[in-house]
Formats: sequence, C-alpha cells, structure tokens
Amino acid sequence: MILLQSPCRYLLQVLSTRVQNLDKGVELDSQWVEFDDVRYHIQATVKNPNLLLLSLSLPTPPPETVFFGGLPQGAIEAIKAAYGVVLQVLDPPRDGYNLTVKLNLSKLPPDEDHKQAFLIKIASIRELVQGAPLRAVFKQLLSRGVKSDLNKIISLVHRPNESFFVFPQADKVTVIFPMRFKDSIDTVLATSFLQEFVEARRTAGLNNAPPCLWSSSPPKELEGSPDEALSANGGFVSFVIFPRHVEGRKLDRTVWSLSTFHAYVSYHVKCSEGFMHTRMRRRVETLIEALDRAKPDSEKPKNTEQTRSFRKLSIKDGRSNSNAK
Amino acid sequence: MDSGASRPAVVIDNGTGYTKMGFAGNVEPCFIVPTVVASNNSFLNQPRPNSTKNSNWIGQHNAGVMADLDFYIGEEALSRSKSSSTYSLSYPIKQGKVDDWDSMERFWQHCIFNYLRCDPEDHYFCLTESALTAPESREYTGEIMFETFNIPGLYIAVQPVLALAAGYTTSKCEMTGVVVDVGDGATHVVPVADGYVIGSSIKSIPIAGKDVTRFIQQLMKERGEHVPPEDSFDVARRVKEMYCYTCSDIVKEFNKHDREPAKYIKQWRGTKPKTGAPYSCDIGYERFLGPEVFFNPEIYTSDFTTPLPTVIDKCIQSAPIDTRRALYKNIVLSGGSTMFKDFSRRLQRDIKKIVDARALASEARLVGEIKSQPVEVNVVSHPIQRYAVWFGGSVLASTPEFFTACHTKAEYEECGASICRTNPVFKGMY
Repeated sequence: MILLQSPCRYLLQVLSTRVQNLDKGVELDSQWVEFDDVRYHIQATVKNPNLLLLSLSLPTPPPETVFFGGLPQGAIEAIKAAYGVVLQVLDPPRDGYNLTVKLNLSKLPPDEDHKQAFLIKIASIRELVQGAPLRAVFKQLLSRGVKSDLNKIISLVHRPNESFFVFPQADKVTVIFPMRFKDSIDTVLATSFLQEFVEARRTAGLNNAPPCLWSSSPPKELEGSPDEALSANGGFVSFVIFPRHVEGRKLDRTVWSLSTFHAYVSYHVKCSEGFMHTRMRRRVETLIEALDRAKPDSEKPKNTEQTRSFRKLSIKDGRSNSNAK
Repeated sequence: MDSGASRPAVVIDNGTGYTKMGFAGNVEPCFIVPTVVASNNSFLNQPRPNSTKNSNWIGQHNAGVMADLDFYIGEEALSRSKSSSTYSLSYPIKQGKVDDWDSMERFWQHCIFNYLRCDPEDHYFCLTESALTAPESREYTGEIMFETFNIPGLYIAVQPVLALAAGYTTSKCEMTGVVVDVGDGATHVVPVADGYVIGSSIKSIPIAGKDVTRFIQQLMKERGEHVPPEDSFDVARRVKEMYCYTCSDIVKEFNKHDREPAKYIKQWRGTKPKTGAPYSCDIGYERFLGPEVFFNPEIYTSDFTTPLPTVIDKCIQSAPIDTRRALYKNIVLSGGSTMFKDFSRRLQRDIKKIVDARALASEARLVGEIKSQPVEVNVVSHPIQRYAVWFGGSVLASTPEFFTACHTKAEYEECGASICRTNPVFKGMY
C-alpha cells in the first residue's frame, strides 16, 4: 500500500454487511478514530434496520481557520449534492460530533454494481467533508471566473490545531504544508524523506506532476501569518497546482491526496523505520552466526542442551516427546 | 497534540489462526482477519551487493514496485498468493508464539494503517500474548511498538486473564477461574487467581482446532466421499464450523444416526476448483466424532490419550489448595474451537463426574468422620467466546485504570525495553 485510500475500510465493511443482511438487522453501536483525529460513530437499531445514524467529528481547528458551525465551508452543500435522498443531515449533530447524518438504506440504487459504488461513496464521506473548501478553490481555478479571493491566503485545518495554507492565484494555486513531528527521529527521517520526495519529482517520468518544493524556512507567501502557524520542525512543503491537475476525475484524487498529505508522510516515515528494523535484525542474525562459528567445540553441546529444555514448552515437542515414550 | 488518553485505545489480539483488532469500548472487533502475510520477496532476499550498490534499487524502480511496501495481510494475502506466484505466504505466529518478527512487524503495520487507519502516535495500545510467552518476546514487542510506531503507551495482557475479564460485565467481577483456551493452533488450560496466572499449573495439550479439522478430513477420506483432494482440508474446516456438535454418549449417537439417517446426515455441495464441476458428499458421523477428539483423544491419535476434562481436573488439583474451590466454580471457555454446540455442558458433566468420584472415595476412606461440602463445578460459556479475549481487552482498555497501568513512551526511553517484561495487573478490577 503506497497511498492511503479514501474510503474508510471499516465503515464500508459495516455498510456492506448491513445491506446484505437487511432482514436480520442487528443492534449496532460502535465508534472509531481515524488518522488526524477524525472520529466516527455509527448507530443502528433493530426496530428500523434500514436507518443508520452516522456521526463524524473533525480535528479541532486552530484559531486562524474560518469554520462555520464546526464544519468547513461548503461541506453541507457538497454532501447534499453527492448523496441526494439516501442521506439526510440532522441538525443539531450528536453531542461531541460536528456532523450527524441519517442513512436510509432502502433508498439505495437497486442495481448491485451501482449499490456497491454508492456504498464506497458513503464510506468516503470524510473526503467530501474535509476537502470541501479545497475543492471550491480548485473549481474556481478551473473556471477562471471570479477573482475575488485572489492573492489572499486561506488556511485550512488538517490536523488537530494545525492548518495548511492555500494561496490561490489567477492561473495556479499554491498549497503549503508546515510539517510538524513530535519525535526527534521522525523529524530527521521526515526531513530527508521530503528532500528525496522533491528530488524524485525531477525525474523524467514525473514531468506532469505538480511542481513541489521543500524549504526549512517559511516561503514568502506566508508572510504576515501568525507566528505559531510558522513554526515547523520538519520544514515547509509547497505544491503548485495547475488547472490540468484538477480537471475532471482528477479533482477528487488531488483533493484527497492534498488533504491527507501529512498522514501520508508520517505513514512512510513509520514504514521506513520498520524496514530499517528488518535490515538491522538481519544484520544481527548474521553477526550472531559469525559468533557461533567462532565458538570452540566444547561450548556447543551445552548450548543445545539449553534450547532443548526451553523447547519442552512447545506443543510440537510435546508430541515428539510422547512419541518417544 | 495531546497524548492518547482522550482517544479509545487500540486493542489487537494476535492469535495463531485469526487476529482480532478494534477500538476499546466497542462490543465487537472491527476486523477479524487470518494472521498471515503475503510478501513479495523477489527483491528483499537478494544478497547484499557490495560492488553494484545501486542495482537493487534500480531493479525495483524499473519493475515499478516498492519491495518493502509490496505485501498484503489477511484474506487479501490468501487470494493474492493463490492468483500469483510472486507472493509467498508466511504465518508470523506459530502455536501462540511469534515466530517471525519481520512478518509480525509488517502485519501490525498493515493492521494499523490499512485496516484500522489510525495514527499510532494518537492511541494507547493493548496487545495480547499467550500465558507461555517468554519475556524476551515481550521486549521485542515493546521495541517494535515504541521504536517503529511511536505509540504513547503499551499494555501487553495475558490472553487467559482477558478471557476472564470478558465475563466482567455479565457476572460479578470474578478474576479467579480456569480458562480453557482452545484455539486453532494451541490448547491451554490456565488457572488464574485474582488476576494472576498460576504459572506452574498451566497445562497444554497437543490437540487443537486444526486437529479436529484433520480428523474430519481423514474420516471423510476413509469413507470415500468424493471431495477433490486439493480442497479437502478447506471443506473439512467448513464442515467443522457449520455442522459439528458435541454429543453426550457416542454409542447412543451412533444409534440415533443409524435409525434416522435422513434427519442426521447432512449434504455438502461444492464445485471443484480446477474444473468447476459441481459435486456433493454426505456428512455423517464426523459431525459428532470431530469434537469427540477432545474427550476421547485415542480415536484420533495414540500419542496423547488424556481427555480434556481430566487435564482440567489435574490442572486444578495442582493449583494451591485454597484456590481450588473457586477454580472449579469458574471454568471459562475461550477460543474458536469451543464453539461446538453443548461443548460446555459435556465438559461440565465430565469434570463433575471426576470430582464426585473423588469426593465419594475420600468419604469412604474416612467413614463418616467428616462430611465434605460438595464441590460446585461450573463451566461458563458466553455468546462471544470466539473473540472473548478481544472483548476482555476492550473492556479493560476502556477503564480509566488502563492508562495508569500502561508502559509509556517516556518510561521506555528512560529504562529501555526491559520495562515490558512485566505488566501490572489492574488493581481496580476486582
């Protein structure tokens, strides 16, 4: 797995099992948390097996972002446009959540393929809600129409109390991520990962990808932003998005990749740590082998004696022991 | 960001056959997947090239894969390895113990990022281990969790204790009992007193779920049922899961089957994997003979002939004398292979028989001098036996005491992996 997928796996599983066993509707009440502190809660009763209550809470926004009623701008409209009659937004949302929707499974499209596609769309609700403002900016870039918000920095929340910045211009949009990491090792790994990432963009095969830059100091677009937004131990990454990157079906994927960029980097940092551990373990094994070879013969039988006494605990040996009897 | 105490802890129960994972506070695990990793080892296992330093990397780049990320777990792994030969399967856990740490680390990586999709830095983790795990393996687990995943806190619970804790909500908070854990790869009988495992009395027997499957497979083969050989183990497993039950008396059960075959003999229908042609076969005596392996092991193997009820009785008899009554009173089943119908009733009856015989014998010896109080034998089964361990973990990890019992990242950095050797029992629980 290289990229994080946009539909939530568990939500999709819950929905599909539910749809398959509509007649045996069971009680359901579970909550879970995704990366970047997005919380879900789903509830269903035996009485109305067709109705599901799905709640979503987003990371707490830092003071510089603009939020309307706990949701990003345009989220409600996006939900209504995407799901139509199947889904109904409840006002006010459940306690502790930013959004509660009522799903009516009986109004799903009857055809199997469409139904599955629609369930995947519901499972990607996070992309729709969190990415709404970014989507609006890109749509504006595509239409090249209204020039009202141009050259004004917009800050959008992507992690609890952290935001990234969008700087729309007439022919392009610059997206800037301040990268922050808690652990010192993570910071070092992430910094070199990002430098390598920028380097990889320059290879021949990626000529059409959005240009990206990494710098340890805030780029000039961020001048005048509050200080706490400008402190980042992992440096700043900026992408320049041109209209060709958000045309047609590319829009959804671009929005998702950008709004989860930090999670993507942190996932890969963890993976490379894991990979390094694998290599280290293999190295230790070869070193131990070399040590074992160097042992004088008198020590060797003693060693096997010890392993035998430990192995008595395992069941396989229990079998061979009783064989011997 | 704040530490993970405000978010639900992640509970992962890695079993030999299946891994159960989810968030604390829920009733059911989010995912139950087979504990298996399919990895593309074509690039990883190359010898370390010293002269051509970059060839490995370039080879990978040209093939368009990232070898260290090219792997799958669970059902996906099984289907990938069937459809293509580039992936090789590895089972990280063997008989309840972690065998291959590289695969285990990869397995966890996918559990966390691909299945649960959570950021490990945000959550406390509750993992499980069998009662016989070496402390070194606990250290290894801690190392992986803290170094690779940077988790804020870790608790490694003992599976039988969690299985006891699973009954915590339904009955009184009883933390004394014998846990009979029959999984796919291992069967353990573990006495627990006040939340502490009595290590010296643990008994394990070499018969588990896999052996039941093998026995059923053998029976069907001997009767000459037309099951394609490459499919027969899988069919036997499915037959075990769907049709098997525990009988009270083998002879009576044979008679019942012979008198009314129409009622008792089931049909199995399937298609041959190679040709796609449909076939059907009968399922007869194996329905009750399969689970009978635990009560009369001599029908399956001549290596091990002590029935499960006798093992449990021996286990309790070897425990400290002041705990024995409480142990007989609370015999808890856990693991997928205890799910056979009436398994608990049969077990209770057989243990009761042994206990009563002993009481009678001692009374006869002491002719009327002392009247012993009858021993209460109680085998507890609950509906969530299949993932009782996970559920116990979910219950424990949702209490506020959990966060104080955890080893934290700061402690790990201060003292090193040795802190994971011991895990304190929760004081608030009983």
